[in-house]
Amino acid sequence: MRITNNMLIDNMMANLNRNLNRVSNYQNQLSTGKKISLPSDDPIIASRALKLRTDVAEIQQFKRNVNDATSWMEITETTLKQIGDVMQRIRELTVDVSNGTKTQDDMDKTKVEIEQLKTQLINLANTTYSGRYIFSGFKTDKALMDTDGKFLIDISKNEQIFYEIGIGDDININVAGCDLFHTGDAAEGEKSSFINTIDELIAALESGEQTTVSGMLGKIDSEINNILRVRSAVGARMNRLELTANRLDDDNINFTKLMSKNEDVDIAEAIMKLMNEMNVYNASLAAGAKVIQPTLVDFLT
Amino acid sequence: MSSSTFFGLDIATRGLYVAQRGLTNVNHNVDNINTPGYSRQVLEQRASRPILVTNGTGMLGTGAEVVGVKRMRDEYLDVKYRSESQYYGEWEVKYTLLEELQAIYNEPSNSGFNTVLNEFYNSLQNLSTDPSSPANRAALKEKAVMLTKYFNSVAEHFEYMQNDINEIVYAKVQEINSLADQIAKLNQQIYNYEVSGNVANDLRDQRGYLVDKLSKIINIDAYEVNYGKLPNGNDDTRFVITISGKAIVDHNNVSHLAAVQRDTKLNEEDIPNLYEVKWADGNRLTIKSGELKGYLDVRDGNDGLNGSSDFRGIPYYQRKMNDFVRVFARTFNEGITNPDGSMTKGHADGYTLYSQQGDPASGIRFFAIIDEIGQPMSSQKFLEAGDDGSGNLDFDAIYSQITAKNFSISLEIDENPTNNISISGAPGEVGNIDILREIIDLRHNPYMFNEGSPEDYIKTIISCMGVDGQLSSHYLNNQTVITKQIENRRQSISGVSVNEEMGNLVRYQHAYKAAAKMIQTYSEILDILVNRLGV
Repeated sequence: MRITNNMLIDNMMANLNRNLNRVSNYQNQLSTGKKISLPSDDPIIASRALKLRTDVAEIQQFKRNVNDATSWMEITETTLKQIGDVMQRIRELTVDVSNGTKTQDDMDKTKVEIEQLKTQLINLANTTYSGRYIFSGFKTDKALMDTDGKFLIDISKNEQIFYEIGIGDDININVAGCDLFHTGDAAEGEKSSFINTIDELIAALESGEQTTVSGMLGKIDSEINNILRVRSAVGARMNRLELTANRLDDDNINFTKLMSKNEDVDIAEAIMKLMNEMNVYNASLAAGAKVIQPTLVDFLT
Repeated sequence: MSSSTFFGLDIATRGLYVAQRGLTNVNHNVDNINTPGYSRQVLEQRASRPILVTNGTGMLGTGAEVVGVKRMRDEYLDVKYRSESQYYGEWEVKYTLLEELQAIYNEPSNSGFNTVLNEFYNSLQNLSTDPSSPANRAALKEKAVMLTKYFNSVAEHFEYMQNDINEIVYAKVQEINSLADQIAKLNQQIYNYEVSGNVANDLRDQRGYLVDKLSKIINIDAYEVNYGKLPNGNDDTRFVITISGKAIVDHNNVSHLAAVQRDTKLNEEDIPNLYEVKWADGNRLTIKSGELKGYLDVRDGNDGLNGSSDFRGIPYYQRKMNDFVRVFARTFNEGITNPDGSMTKGHADGYTLYSQQGDPASGIRFFAIIDEIGQPMSSQKFLEAGDDGSGNLDFDAIYSQITAKNFSISLEIDENPTNNISISGAPGEVGNIDILREIIDLRHNPYMFNEGSPEDYIKTIISCMGVDGQLSSHYLNNQTVITKQIENRRQSISGVSVNEEMGNLVRYQHAYKAAAKMIQTYSEILDILVNRLGV
């Protein structure tokens, strides 16, 4: 084949350009840390990257949801414990005054304390978490009951607040006030059966009849049992939250790793390849300079 | 019989003349080594007509003469080059423009669609954990604005790009016309020159170069047609260039192309007044390849819809974005009917934050459009498009108002996000998030789009674009190799080699010296003959 000067130059320029393209490709990878900069570089990596980014973003959001749910349920749990403690104290006082040796004076003193405890119970029923009433079902902006123990809102057991802690995985984080302080759904203005029990006890103490007072013990016990039932349910849900939190932590690590594996550059490999391409480029430059320069012109005198 | 006295000098002079022509030729070649389209020229010389010697001693040589200057060119390679360079031009344009398209989507990155949608859903999730918080509600509004602005910006970029390409189409048509005019002029010059039997080497090179340029822009066939014989016996050949069968250049006549603004849009997504490329005489023009085809495909390509090419160009991606925002806004606002017949509720079925017991559902559409003066439209006004007075709303008509460019939150959400974001499933319950949960669940509803969930949909668009980009890159690489290969072969035949020319230089220089020596020798001989041969 006949070779002409322009062929040599054109071919060398085309090859140099190709080499330089590859150099620039690896340089790009190294400076961005990513295998691809446009979807067309590798459509598969690009579409997986989109999926994994979504997964990671969702997992992180679910983690935030779990944290919020945990805070809410911790408040609920603490409040339930306090209610339990108060009821325990009420039970002790009731047992104490019903042993037959107590005078009316003792009963009056006990009554005063139980009235105090009732106020405390009503305050606990109106506990808030960052400004929201935790036992008010969906009406988190309204207090559950007034100082007499009458409900200020309609409330139903169905008013369950759910947080999403996984795709299609919800957890109920609240305890509707009627479940704890009433039997069945309650309407606005209705008296809480729970507070009613305390009021009955106070009335019994006022009357001074020990049999009536000791007769209240059964009712108090059933309220305490109800509180324990709700507490254990909350405890079980917190357990589930904790497991979910651990799983989400693992998922977060795994998916972040996957994401990195999918789109991040293996630095060592990229540097090696860059060096290799640089060598090729330098060699082609050197060869080009040698090949193209001399012609017969250089030797004619 | 012997030759005449000065016959030797005649031969030597002819030798000088031939060597001189040779040197001029070398000079010409070397000067044009970098002239694009130039073919090297070779001197054709032969022994001049000998004199018959009648005494039986044969023919008497009379030296050398130049019969012509030949242009080294393989016409087959020209045809081949032109049939490949049209595809090179087409894919070069498509490759560049597809890169630009991908850059507009900006995926994968931390500022593309994916990020915007993730942040939007995260703000919905945040709201679900504290639904009565004005801060969370305001944040949701801002994220929604970010989401809508993303679509607005992508749509606008597409429109700019379409407009830019349209300008280039116009410029390319002018370039084709200008090239055709120049070629026609050269045809006339070449014809005039060659009528007498010469070959217009350099003019032919110029014409070939212009035809090469033209072949990259649009699909052409270029050939010489024999029209019969001239009075002097030479062939009467004329040069013709056709585009899809119709001649743009016929000898010295030119049929121009014209870029005419369309009265009606080809695709509803197009910007108005795009140029339609036609023959200036009004005939329809079929463009099969070339740069112009590349630009037109990207500008008009709607995957074969509306009679456009099968290419997926700007209108296709605009349409996909429009479809996305329509379905997305509709399911968000109104809910969705699943294939199993179950219905999910949407934002319009929700109740506002400060609703009182007994209040009806808010009916507020979260997403709407921007009105003529650039303000978000109220839900009521937005719904008017589908209200025929019968009380039933035509949601198809309502949501077909939305495009990626005018996608927006509604006026209600813009003005009072705290109250008007309606996510409660019952009036007067600030902690109720029944509607919000349905909306959040939509993110993973595979029935939202034919392609699946919202993210699947966008993923499909992006990977489709990626695959098209990759394909165009492959095609471009192939065409580069093919045209390079043909160009190499052309250069091998037509290119100037300095070594060769220097060889010729030395050759002709020596021939010249030798001929000069002959003259000197004859001069000496004649000196003897005339001056010293004293008779």
